[in-house]
Amino acid sequence: MKFETSLKIALSKGRIFKDTLPLLARLGIEPVDDPEKSRKLILDTNLEQVKFVMIRATDVPTYVQWGAADIGVAGKDVLVEHGGEGLYQPLDLRIARCRLMVAGPAGASLQGDRLRIATKYVKAARAHFAAKGQQVEIIKLYGSMELAPLVGLSDLIVDLVESGNTLKANGLEPLEHIDDISSRLIFNKAAWKMKHADITRFLAAMREAVEG
Amino acid sequence: MAIDHHWLLPEGIDELPPPRAAELEGLRRRLLDMYEGWGYDLILPPFLEYMEALLVSGGDDLALRTFKVTDLITGRTLGVRADITPQAARIDAHKLNREAPARLCYCGTVLHTQPENPAASRAPLQVGAELYGHDGIESELEILDLLVRTLDLCGVEEYYLDLGHVGIFRNLSRQAGLDEQGEQALFEALQRKATSEIQEIVAELKLSPEHGAMFVALAELSGDDALERAEQLLSGAGDEVLTALGELRQVAQGLKERFPAIAPHFDLAELRGYHYHTGIVFAGFVPELGQEVMRGGRYNEYGRSFGRARPAVGFSGDLRTLFRIGKRGDIGTKPAIFAPWPEEKALVDQVAQLRGEGRRVIFALPGQSGDAREQGCGEELRKEAGEWKILPLS
Repeated sequence: MKFETSLKIALSKGRIFKDTLPLLARLGIEPVDDPEKSRKLILDTNLEQVKFVMIRATDVPTYVQWGAADIGVAGKDVLVEHGGEGLYQPLDLRIARCRLMVAGPAGASLQGDRLRIATKYVKAARAHFAAKGQQVEIIKLYGSMELAPLVGLSDLIVDLVESGNTLKANGLEPLEHIDDISSRLIFNKAAWKMKHADITRFLAAMREAVEG
Repeated sequence: MAIDHHWLLPEGIDELPPPRAAELEGLRRRLLDMYEGWGYDLILPPFLEYMEALLVSGGDDLALRTFKVTDLITGRTLGVRADITPQAARIDAHKLNREAPARLCYCGTVLHTQPENPAASRAPLQVGAELYGHDGIESELEILDLLVRTLDLCGVEEYYLDLGHVGIFRNLSRQAGLDEQGEQALFEALQRKATSEIQEIVAELKLSPEHGAMFVALAELSGDDALERAEQLLSGAGDEVLTALGELRQVAQGLKERFPAIAPHFDLAELRGYHYHTGIVFAGFVPELGQEVMRGGRYNEYGRSFGRARPAVGFSGDLRTLFRIGKRGDIGTKPAIFAPWPEEKALVDQVAQLRGEGRRVIFALPGQSGDAREQGCGEELRKEAGEWKILPLS
């Protein structure tokens, strides 16, 4: 695939990078360096016009919103927390799939006055309980949510669940489903308009790669 | 908490030191002079108003963005304007009350409780022009012409114009019989061009396949060729939608005749200001920002709450942003003149004359530290052969 303009694609290390590469490979885009080994943050690809920008998953929407990258791959969980302002999200890549769930000690009750919920996903958690008509206290954490109920910091947690093994290892279990999560292809609004020909072809090819 | 760094400005609040402030002021004057030449009358609306007057359109966003204080005289809530457009509409509808078209322009600081995007200013200097009293694409063209010239005068070299029409989505929503909630859900998904979400909502609301397909199509109707594709994909959408597409085509054609180098981009899912816009909407984008720097459109119903709905179209942008990104050449001012503290009338008179001619003359204060150069002067007044002369710095 050839592009008229330069395209910067924001990706995060780990699962999203690993799952996005096969899709990009079908468009003939492959990285020159291995991000796990290289310390470079902007990676060259086999196409001169295309660069990968390697950033933390939670920063991807911000970089793309600002136009520091034209395109990005971000999980729905991250997009909900970011708000998605100033971004187009036309394609669900159906990768990095998992579920956003309420979890707690086995048999814990979902009822109760002002339950304390530990989570990284503040907006999603608040919206979920508000939709059920339940007022809760949200405790924002940045990781290892599983610990919070064990040490009495919270009653329940809201977290991403893939296999459920981490929960199980800590004596917790998934209690309630909130949302199915997968990664979306996101676009900067201005890039969408100014690099429209390239962006449209890229999007069409990615759509084919996802569906085909 | 002790406040140590009291020199810090609040977040998103900016100031301009010399010479930037004077440069911005120069640009502001040139813009207002241009609007004056186009027949746009300057208005100076108040910084504070009753909330009801500021929030005409019912949009929640504007209410959240407005700083509020309690009026200690009436007990009512006052808002610091977050947008000057409602004030211009009030002045047109209530104060001027003309039948003939009214052309208004303004430049003033607005305040936002939250920046519009990360690290944006919370005190933008909003500059804009509004044309009231004519419902036709000629007004759109005049406003777009002025918008393009504003960008040019600000020195913004590379930009893209994006055109849309809120009437298309609004009309489709009505045809599909959407309630307020359904319309809002589809609106939000369309703003993100989230095709899969639109499909989910369409299924959930049990819309007819024809309407469902048209909402999905809207998300994809962007680009230079969007109008051609729209005419096929929305062919069954009825007269009002086709009229809207026709208006877009005419405006694009008119723009092309005026500015052959500008190829507008169409985006039928772009519904900025959906709650108060009624027709064509537009925005100017620049490559290095990734955000719009100018926006505007038609808003015919706005004046109703002030007693008179008048056709209206206008644009505005943040002059601080335009100033920052524009590349303007040196305007070529003459260097300032340093003069000794005047002990004789001849010097006083000569300085007065020079200042009258628009020159900048700075007196040396007796015993001051720093010389002419440090005072930003390039020339000085020196007495030679009994006469005061302007000479290069010695």
